[in-house]
Amino acid sequence: MDTIANDFTINIATANGTGSQSANLILLQSLFDMGVPVSGKNLFPSNISGLPTWYIVRLSDRGYQAPGDRTHIQILVNKATWEEDLAALEPGSVVVWNMDSKMPVERDDIVSYPVPMTKLARSLNPKLSKLVTNIVYVGVLAELLGITDEALNKAVAGQFKGKTSAIELNINALELGRNYAKENFTKNDPYVVEPRPIEKKRFFMEGNEAAALGCIFGGVQLLAWYPITPSSSLAEGIIAYIPRLRTNDEGEATCAVIQAEDELAAAGMVLGAGWAGGRGMTATSGPGISLMQEFIGLAYFAEIPSVFWDVNRVGPSTGLPTRTQQSDLAMLYEGSHGDTQHIVVIPGTVEECFEFGWRAFDYSERYQTPVFGLSDLDLGMNRWACEGFEYPDEPMDRGKTIREQDVFEAMENFGRYRDLDGDGIPYRTLPGSGMAPILYRGTGHNPDGVYSEKPHDYFDLMKRLKEKIDGSRDNLPAPILNENEEGEIGVIYYGSMENSIQEIDDLLEETGLKVSQCRVRALPLHSEVEAFIRRHKTTIVLEINRDAQLWGILRRELPNDIVGQVYSVAYSDGMPPRARIYSDLILKTIREVSQ
Amino acid sequence: MRERPARAIKLNVLNEPKDNYKGGPSSLCPGCGHDQISNVIISAAWENGIPPERVAKMSGIGCSSKTPAYYLGQSHGFNTVHGRMPSVTTGAYAINKDLLYLGVSGDGDSASIGIGQLIHAIRRNMDMVYIVENNGVYGLTKGQYSATADVGSKKKKGKANETQPIDLCALAINLGCTFVARSFSGSKKQLNALLKAAMSHKGFALIDVISPCVTFNNNDESMRSYTYVKDNEVTLHMTDYIPHFEPMAEVEVPEGNFTDITLHDGSTIRLETISENHDPSDSMAALTALHEAEDEKKHVTGLLYFDATKPSLAEDLGIVDIPLLDVSDDVLRPPKEMLDSINAEFLSM
Repeated sequence: MDTIANDFTINIATANGTGSQSANLILLQSLFDMGVPVSGKNLFPSNISGLPTWYIVRLSDRGYQAPGDRTHIQILVNKATWEEDLAALEPGSVVVWNMDSKMPVERDDIVSYPVPMTKLARSLNPKLSKLVTNIVYVGVLAELLGITDEALNKAVAGQFKGKTSAIELNINALELGRNYAKENFTKNDPYVVEPRPIEKKRFFMEGNEAAALGCIFGGVQLLAWYPITPSSSLAEGIIAYIPRLRTNDEGEATCAVIQAEDELAAAGMVLGAGWAGGRGMTATSGPGISLMQEFIGLAYFAEIPSVFWDVNRVGPSTGLPTRTQQSDLAMLYEGSHGDTQHIVVIPGTVEECFEFGWRAFDYSERYQTPVFGLSDLDLGMNRWACEGFEYPDEPMDRGKTIREQDVFEAMENFGRYRDLDGDGIPYRTLPGSGMAPILYRGTGHNPDGVYSEKPHDYFDLMKRLKEKIDGSRDNLPAPILNENEEGEIGVIYYGSMENSIQEIDDLLEETGLKVSQCRVRALPLHSEVEAFIRRHKTTIVLEINRDAQLWGILRRELPNDIVGQVYSVAYSDGMPPRARIYSDLILKTIREVSQ
Repeated sequence: MRERPARAIKLNVLNEPKDNYKGGPSSLCPGCGHDQISNVIISAAWENGIPPERVAKMSGIGCSSKTPAYYLGQSHGFNTVHGRMPSVTTGAYAINKDLLYLGVSGDGDSASIGIGQLIHAIRRNMDMVYIVENNGVYGLTKGQYSATADVGSKKKKGKANETQPIDLCALAINLGCTFVARSFSGSKKQLNALLKAAMSHKGFALIDVISPCVTFNNNDESMRSYTYVKDNEVTLHMTDYIPHFEPMAEVEVPEGNFTDITLHDGSTIRLETISENHDPSDSMAALTALHEAEDEKKHVTGLLYFDATKPSLAEDLGIVDIPLLDVSDDVLRPPKEMLDSINAEFLSM
């Protein structure tokens, strides 16, 4: 039989809360350590224990990180989804299943490897048999696919850092699974793992932890947060790094953390911090941003630095709280009532989660306005290969904040909201300084910060705010361009779609279509985005939502003469983007355009 | 810049004239109780020698929340959003814990939309003065009942209120608030002493001030009218405040029984017994006093409850001694070597 090396997808069906996550991460890490390009997607339910969970491991020498179109190897442990998972398999698929579940596997068109997982687990440790069951299937897979003991042992040691008894138990369980497969199975499927040379050393990292580290290096001074999936691990990442990175020898921290009573209070605290002259932030998801809308408008109108991270989950309402989507973009860009416009930075990689983590504070203080980081569950909570983080290449930008009396006295015509430099950005003094005190307010105000309902004061203020945010566009992260000389077609995308774009591009190329790519990394849009659209006859905006939110923004903001050449491909079902769905939709759209 | 004071003008311990503590002209209705409270704030801050630039004036939305424009014009302030002043204050405090946070709110702001934030600020023992200018009605929206309106009380228009009120003082005592007082905008001397004591307190100091609304709720059938409150005020103590910079020896000792309570900054609040002795360290007695007053349709005023033992928010945050605002950028951003070692650790995993 011909072998298929490093080009298949493993789907592991278990129940939530049974400890399968650590087994799955050991599998993922051991493949990674063998140099195999691999990605893992955790499809978990909104539940603590009992509901179905799937973990998808994709091996791809081409570096594809999307979940893939189909499952090649199915691990069946969970009775609840047994029949459904089994029925979905294409002929020729492999099933490794738990015989002790007493569930049938009645398909003769698949390769079946029955394993008495529960019995094996009980023989090792009756008390922890549920946990051990998971590691047994990893042992079976290791034998069937050719994962080395060396890689497994290293992954186990990394997973259970120093916990000797846990390490021993897991190593024994792996061996048990491996031996069972060795003694009972003759390999009858094509799938194998081949080690690859590691050219550049990398490590696995979740986007949320990377963003947390970025915020720490951005000098965050107040984290005010309210727990919500999938953002909690960003806040908890900051909390975890404070003792090491932001605490002095006396054990005192330079970053305060307050778990707020709700998202409204978290936003209020962030504004209070910004108003007082500090770097305040929160981490939340779409429902939290909904609750923060009133404060977002206040921060925009009263011009208060404030940083909000939104780790997008599936909306509307409670939606699918443990699934991924890019559906908060429009809400962030135009957050709150009235005319508003906000800076949004959109990382597509864990390295960018780190970089935008610190940059967001600089933008916020420079432009005296709320800045949003838009990540999503896929980028934030799954593990991605990372080359390491680069130290900030410029000092912290504290913006036009006057901190010294002599500087203030040398100024002419100071007014809190007076544009002295022609860039729309006024100067500010801080509470406690005694310099030019005003009563900040969400009501209309004149350039001196005094209440005003005068038409020209309101009009001028709104015009200046627009100019201020507009002025930021080319100072924000520029789009990443990948242009094809022959390409008449451009594709604009953003955020975690980065992890599927290579595969989408290859699928398009298989049909003879070559496209250019432009990954948007911030709003308001960089001028390069318009230039990219002008260089292509047709541009397609690719996004993981229903309503084509970036496309909508482009249609409103692009000059009329090119609006007509921008088309949308927007699709979301809660899953991380599967490449073929999007490539098919792109081809369909192009056919329609050319008709 | 502050004006140089002329010689004849009376100065406080900082050599500041009282004018330097004033604000802009009020736009509230003439005779509004809130304006009397603003005047007491000006007097108390001036007499207590508080540098105006060290005060942060905080408020929410409503008639009361407009008043920070009318006092302490040399202090920064923040007129935030409806009911959310406590959270903004908490965030500002985390960055600059050296300021005196003086919050002013109303009964709509504090007892309805903002009751959650009020509760949680109390729970954290957030270090601030929180004045509720309580008149039982929404003024700016023209006279709807608020959640503190007394049962049986009738405002100028409409029916009498039949809904059970929220007593913010009882709520605060139950939450373990460390300084709980009620006063009346017409009792300037008492309010002045309580406000100064609140400013000297470290922790959350709630002063619920009955402040009649002359436009919508000052009629004869109202239990929040000037006349009604004057006639039905039950005062717990005669209250005096002796600032830390004034030697106790020079203060006249009252003839009757009294209790002195030392506050965090070394100042003293002196509570002179009127008829029965109310012990402000006894939360049950304070609650009883509130319930009895409610039953008798009275308003009890004075220092209801006080506790100097609880840590305030600053101690819970575990942050450096200096305000975070004053921590330099090179301390806020860890050095490159730290990131290098983190990268190396991950790569070696």
